[in-house]
Amino acid sequence: MFSMFKNLVGSKTLTKEDLQPALEKMKEHIIGKNVAADISAKLCDSVAAKLEGKVLGTFSTTANTVKQTLQDSCVNILEPKRRIDILRDAMECKQKGRPYVVTFCGVNGVGKSTNLAKICFWLIENGFRVLIAACDTFRAGAVEQLRTHTRKLNALHPPDKNGQHMVQLYEKGYGKDAAGIAMEAINFARDCHIDVVLVDTAGRMQDNEPLMRALSKLIKVNQPDLVLFVGEALVGNEAVDQLNKFNQALADHSNMTNPRLIDGIVLTKFDTIDDKVGAAISMTYTTGQPIVFVGTGQTYTDLRNLNAKAVVNALLK
Amino acid sequence: MVLADLGRKITSALKSLSNATIINEEVLNGMLKEICAALLEADVNIFLVKRLRENVRSVIDFDEMAGGLNKRRMIQSAVYKELVKLIDPGVKQWTPTKGRSNVIMFVGLQGSGKTTTCSKLAYYYQKKGWKTCLICADTFRAGAFDQLKQNATKARIPFYGSYTEIDPVVIAQEGVDKFRDENFEIIIVDTSGRHKQEDSLFEEMLQVSNVTDPDNVIFVMDATIGQACESQARAFKEKVDVASVIITKLDGHAKGGGALSAVAATKSPVIFIGTGEHIDDFEPFKVQPFVSKLLGMGDIEGLIDK
Ligand SMILES: Nc1nc2c(ncn2[C@@H]2O[C@H](COP(=O)(O)OP(=O)(O)OP(=O)(O)O)[C@@H](O)[C@H]2O)c(=O)[nH]1
Ligand SMILES: Nc1nc2c(ncn2[C@@H]2O[C@H](COP(=O)(O)OP(=O)(O)OP(=O)(O)O)[C@@H](O)[C@H]2O)c(=O)[nH]1
Ligand SMILES: [Mg+2]
Ligand SMILES: [Mg+2]
Repeated sequence: MFSMFKNLVGSKTLTKEDLQPALEKMKEHIIGKNVAADISAKLCDSVAAKLEGKVLGTFSTTANTVKQTLQDSCVNILEPKRRIDILRDAMECKQKGRPYVVTFCGVNGVGKSTNLAKICFWLIENGFRVLIAACDTFRAGAVEQLRTHTRKLNALHPPDKNGQHMVQLYEKGYGKDAAGIAMEAINFARDCHIDVVLVDTAGRMQDNEPLMRALSKLIKVNQPDLVLFVGEALVGNEAVDQLNKFNQALADHSNMTNPRLIDGIVLTKFDTIDDKVGAAISMTYTTGQPIVFVGTGQTYTDLRNLNAKAVVNALLK
Repeated sequence: MVLADLGRKITSALKSLSNATIINEEVLNGMLKEICAALLEADVNIFLVKRLRENVRSVIDFDEMAGGLNKRRMIQSAVYKELVKLIDPGVKQWTPTKGRSNVIMFVGLQGSGKTTTCSKLAYYYQKKGWKTCLICADTFRAGAFDQLKQNATKARIPFYGSYTEIDPVVIAQEGVDKFRDENFEIIIVDTSGRHKQEDSLFEEMLQVSNVTDPDNVIFVMDATIGQACESQARAFKEKVDVASVIITKLDGHAKGGGALSAVAATKSPVIFIGTGEHIDDFEPFKVQPFVSKLLGMGDIEGLIDK
C-alpha cells in the first residue's frame, strides 16, 4: 500500500505537504484496523509534529519514516508505564491479614464474569484462595453463571491442606444492593482468611446515570485494591467514550479529592478480531492505564499478557 | 435517536452544498470528506465508506453537468442513494405465518445479546397473540439455561432446555419437535455465542440449523462493534442462511454504524433494535422511515427514485 510513495527517495527536509499523503494513508489504514477515528487523527498529527522539518535519510522514503515513527508511538502507548503485580500485592495483603479485593466493571456482555473466572483460575494456580462476590444482582442467570464457574473451578483444584475449598461464592440472589453484598463478602473473606475477593458487577451502559452512580458507590464504600475495566477487542469508536465516562462517573460521584479510578484494563475476545487490534490502542491511549490481561478464548486458560510489539506489528501490517 | 449524531453530521455536510456559491470538485471533495469522517466515527466499515465515496464521485462529472441547482440535486441524490444502500439490502423482511410453526434461530458473537433478545422477541409475538415458546440450545455458557429460564418464567413463555444434556443439537431437535407437535406458532431457538475463528463452533451452528430447519435465522449484533463486524457477519452468512439482523444495545451512546455493515455483509435487513436490558426495550425497525428520519428530510424518496 505504500508503493506510491517510493519515488520520494533522496535527502530532503520534510514539509507538511510531503507528509500529508502518507499520513492520510496511514490514518485510513489504522482506522481500518479498528483504532478509534479521533485517536487515529491525533496519532497522525503527533507523527506530523515529530517529523516536520526533519531531514529525510538518503535511503528512506517518507512513507517508511512515517510508519517507523507511528510504530514507535504505538509501542510507547501500549507499554505499561506502571506494572500491576497482582500476585505480589495479593501476597502483601495476605501477610497483613486482609483480603486483596478486585472489582470488575464494564458495559454489557463484554466478558466480565468469564474473565473473572479465568483470573480466579490463575490465582488458585498460584496458591491463593478466592471468594467470588456475586454483585450482579440484575441480569437473569448471573448468579448461576458464577455458581457454575465456582463448581467447575473447585473440581479442577482439590481443597487445600486444611480441607478448604479453593474458591467459594458469596451470593445473596437477585434484586439486592450490590455495594452491600460486596461489603459483606469482603468481611466474610476477612473472617475466613480467604486471600482474594473478586467482585463481579452487572454490565451497564456508560450513559446510564443511575447505574453508573451505583457502581461508583460500590467502589467508594468498598475501596477495592484494584479496579479493572473490562472491554472487548471488538469495540470500535465507543471504546473511548466507555472509558472516559466510567472514569468520569467514578470521579464525579465519589465526593473525594483522590477518587478511585480505573487501575487497569482487561481486553477480552482478542481471539475474534484477526488483525483488527486497534481497540488496544484506543483504550490505552484514552486512559494511560495498562492492559493487565488479554482474554483469548472461552476457557480458563485463555488469559494472556499483552505483547505490545506483536500488537503493533499486526496494526501496521 | 439512533444514529442521530451521524444524521446531523451528514445533513450539515449536505447543507454546505447549498451554501457554496459555485459547486466544483473542491466543494464536492470537502463535503465527501466530512461525510466519510462522520461515517468512520460511527464505526461504518472502512471499505463501505470508501465505496460510498468512489460511487458518489463517479456519478458526478463536472464537465458535463449543467447549472448549479442541477449539480446540487445530483450530488445529494447520489449521497442519499449510497446511504440507503448501507442500511437497506433491498430484500423484503421475513414475516411469520399464522397457524403454522415458524422456527426462528438466533446466532451471533459472544455476548452480543442473543439470549436477552430471544426473550424480547418471544414476548413481542406473545403480546400480539401468537403461540410462542423458547428453546435454550446453549449448553456451553455457564448459567445459559438459567438465564433463559428466568427470563421466560418472568414473561410466562413456555421454554425447553436441559441441565444434563451437553449436545445443543440434541436439545434443539427435541425442543423443536416437541413444540411443533404442540402447534406452537413461534418457536425461538437460542444458541451459544461463537466466532468465525473457531471451526468447531461454526460446525455446531450448522448442525443446529440443519436439525431445526429454521424459517428465519437472525444475526444479533451489538451496536458498539467496530471494524471486525463485517468479516464476522460474512462468515456467519456463509455458514447458515442468515435472513435478518437485530442490532442491540442502542440505548447506549453507540452510533451503531459498525453493526450496519452486517446488513451489507449478510444482505439482510435490520428487523428490530434493542434499546435496553428489559424485556420490552425492543422496537421494530423499518428501513425507509429510518433513513428519512436519519437525514431529517421528508422528500428523499422523491430524490432517490429519479
Ligand atoms: N471468544 C471469546 N469469548 C469470550 C471471551 N471472554 C468472554 N467471552 C464470552 O463472552 C460472552 C459474555 O461473557 P460474560 O462473562 O457473561 O460477559 P459479562 O460482561 O459478564 O456480561 P454481563 O454480566 O451480562 O454484562 C460469553 O459467551 C463468554 O464465553 C474471550 O476472551 N474470547
Ligand atoms: N443496555 C442493553 N443491554 C443489553 C441489550 N441487549 C442485551 N443486553 C445485555 O447484554 C448482555 C449480554 O446479553 P446476552 O443476552 O447474555 O448475550 P448473548 O449473546 O446471549 O451471550 P452469549 O450467549 O454468552 O453469547 C446482558 O447484560 C444483557 O442484559 C440492550 O439492548 N441494551
Ligand atoms: Mg456478568
Ligand atoms: Mg446467550
